[in-house]
Amino acid sequence: MLKNILLISVSMLVALPLASRAQENNCITCHQDLEDQDGPSHKIVRDIHFQKGLMCNDCHGGDPTLDDMDDVAESKGYRGVPSYTEVPSFCARCHSDASYMHEHNPSLPTDQFDKYKTSVHGQRLLKKGDTKVANCISCHSVHEIGDAKFPHSSTYPLNIPATCGKCHGDTEYMSQYGIPTDQLEGYKKSVHGKALLENHDLGAPACNDCHGNHGAAPPGVSSISAVCGNCHAFQAELFDASPHKQAYIENDFPMCETCHSNHLIVQPLDAMVGDAEPAICTECHSSDDGTIGLATAASINAGIKKLVLAHNEAEVVLNEAIEKGMLTTDEEFLLNEVKQELIQARTLVHSFDSTRVVEKTKVGLLKADSVKSNSASLIDEYYFRRKGLGVATLFITIVCIALWIRIKRL
Amino acid sequence: MNDTKQSRRGFLEVILGGGVLATIAAVVYPVTKYIMPPPVAEANLSQLKLKYGRADIEGEPKKAKYFKYGRELGIIFLTDKGKLNALSATCTHLDCTVQHRPDLGLIWCSCHNGKYDMDGNNVSGPPPRPLARFRVEEVDGTIFVSKEDV
Repeated sequence: MLKNILLISVSMLVALPLASRAQENNCITCHQDLEDQDGPSHKIVRDIHFQKGLMCNDCHGGDPTLDDMDDVAESKGYRGVPSYTEVPSFCARCHSDASYMHEHNPSLPTDQFDKYKTSVHGQRLLKKGDTKVANCISCHSVHEIGDAKFPHSSTYPLNIPATCGKCHGDTEYMSQYGIPTDQLEGYKKSVHGKALLENHDLGAPACNDCHGNHGAAPPGVSSISAVCGNCHAFQAELFDASPHKQAYIENDFPMCETCHSNHLIVQPLDAMVGDAEPAICTECHSSDDGTIGLATAASINAGIKKLVLAHNEAEVVLNEAIEKGMLTTDEEFLLNEVKQELIQARTLVHSFDSTRVVEKTKVGLLKADSVKSNSASLIDEYYFRRKGLGVATLFITIVCIALWIRIKRL
Repeated sequence: MNDTKQSRRGFLEVILGGGVLATIAAVVYPVTKYIMPPPVAEANLSQLKLKYGRADIEGEPKKAKYFKYGRELGIIFLTDKGKLNALSATCTHLDCTVQHRPDLGLIWCSCHNGKYDMDGNNVSGPPPRPLARFRVEEVDGTIFVSKEDV
């Protein structure tokens, strides 16, 4: 009963303002009769603009109090439905007007149209009249535009790959542009795609984090390290100071992408650095190329491998101690430090300086040894206690038997 | 006959006496081991007294020091306003250890360029949550760190 009352109250709260606004606005009254549930007049209730109090005439113009559509079309300020090419300027009427936007959402930027003009989409649409490229409604939808912070929005981070992939994953649709269409598939398998789409890590980059959103464009060769460096700042810093930087510039190599690929960026393996397959280093370096490239790679590989092994061994012994119920707070803490040293050593790979990497691994090795030996001592202590319990039980049993005999003789 | 009986009784007394002593030892040993402080002091999770003072933190190149709080790693640092703040040193994104960057006036995680303000609020990059805060008290030059009430 109470549930029904609540449901009715909530429905009335939602329906009443809509009904009253619709009464003042003949657009909705007429269009809802003419359109099915997927029509704009039905979808509009889910639209952020409608929710913020804007009505049809705020975008399309005209006098919403008139009954006749012909009269509306002739009324002052009627703009009707914009053509595909007109959509960006249609939205920009408000979204580029800082004073107007201030009244509704002061924190929202007003440079979207300017950025769009610089994007590949904007350039093709506005300069070449190519109506196959994306405009505002291609990504934001129309009449059910949502705030990018809301999960149902097409621009919510988790939905962005699918939003971009709608066109960029469609081989037939993209055929005339001569660009690959496997970006979405590659991204889904990448470390970023898995983090975002499988683990729902909203910090993981979606398409727009690397390409921009309104100003979407492929990063140029020289800007790739800057784009990746937005998150992988330390790696970028190390790479920039490394001898590879200059070599990559001279050979026109696309920085990070050379080793890590672009959309299909998989979790880097330690074996990627080394002097033998599957190390990437061998693609450019050889043992007789007159550089210390392969020797450095081999040394880095050996150092990291050693630390990984030591970490794993220490972890196994520690887990046994944990399983036996021993107090392992310090060892767990120390093992986490070993993990941090390993992360840092792997990061230092981007310096391509084996001395720095090996020095870091040595610190980790010492800590891993401590974890291993301390955990082994705890396991020994466990067995000592178990044997002690056995011995104590034996003594207590002997005492009980001796007491029983003694009492019997009294 | 009496001698045999006597020696049996003596043997029984020895067994009984020895057994009682061994039983006492079996009780006393673990109790003593439990009472004796372990080689590494157990963490006092209500309040941690740091072994260093403000001057030591100030003397560090990054004006920060790490401390162990139970299983957790904490970072205590001197803000640009000369205040001592302590935060969890584990990034809320993927558990890397954060560091104090006095040059940026931020707490920084080098793994994915995550940034936190001096109060541990995540202000930029992938970290989804703020860093846990510790309460810092300075009493006669000694620094005490404790968990902030949730």
